[in-house]
Amino acid sequence: MVHALRQAHRVLKPGGLLIDLRPAPAHRRVGIVSGGRYRRLGTTAESLDLDRAAERAVRRVRRAGLFRLETGIRFDCQRVLDTPADFRAWVEEMATRRAASSHDRLIGRVERAFARARTARKLIMQGPVVARALRRLDPRLTS
Amino acid sequence: MSIRIDPDLREVAALKRIAEWRGRHVLEIGCGEGRLSVRLARLGAIVWGIDPDPARIRAARRRLRRFGRRVRVGVGRAERLAHGAGSFDLVVLSWAL
Repeated sequence: MVHALRQAHRVLKPGGLLIDLRPAPAHRRVGIVSGGRYRRLGTTAESLDLDRAAERAVRRVRRAGLFRLETGIRFDCQRVLDTPADFRAWVEEMATRRAASSHDRLIGRVERAFARARTARKLIMQGPVVARALRRLDPRLTS
Repeated sequence: MSIRIDPDLREVAALKRIAEWRGRHVLEIGCGEGRLSVRLARLGAIVWGIDPDPARIRAARRRLRRFGRRVRVGVGRAERLAHGAGSFDLVVLSWAL
């Protein structure tokens, strides 16, 4: 991660901006919308180790004088899925990237909620995302 | 799998608040199938997207064709960028760190 940040520093023009956009280290809320009403079904249980490692990498390059944090915005980002099969596929894909405990119980709740809903329904996953702007510095000038 | 990410464009609102994009040369690291690349191009940026997955890059090429030379994509990794020093006004780590 630090190497990627150093590469970003290299290809940026002097004074350019690095935009670090990624999920905040938090589990995502999962719920169903049916008949215009939202009902929460649970939260995902993902490993947050990668998020914490990314935080450490950014702190390291800031300490090295490569970047200065200019601003950061936190906002909720939604993912909308149409079927329980979509949710199952997302869980399986996510598990290949982030160690995660079993989501079988949550998948079961999603399937039952879809089966019970009589009107059009969709699944909403929601979690915080952080966008940070880091200004490229010249470490020779900042040290 | 069909997932719509950020349908209410909160991500775009945040990006507009933290940087000026029009006419800027932007490297997007982790562009995937070009979901964010489209949004950056609509903000007026000139985008070069990279992703390590060739299948996703093929999908991104199809999706981004209408933007012509304003959006280009290729296979690449954050740890070994092929671009020269000082090539970009902005670098976006798109859920890539």
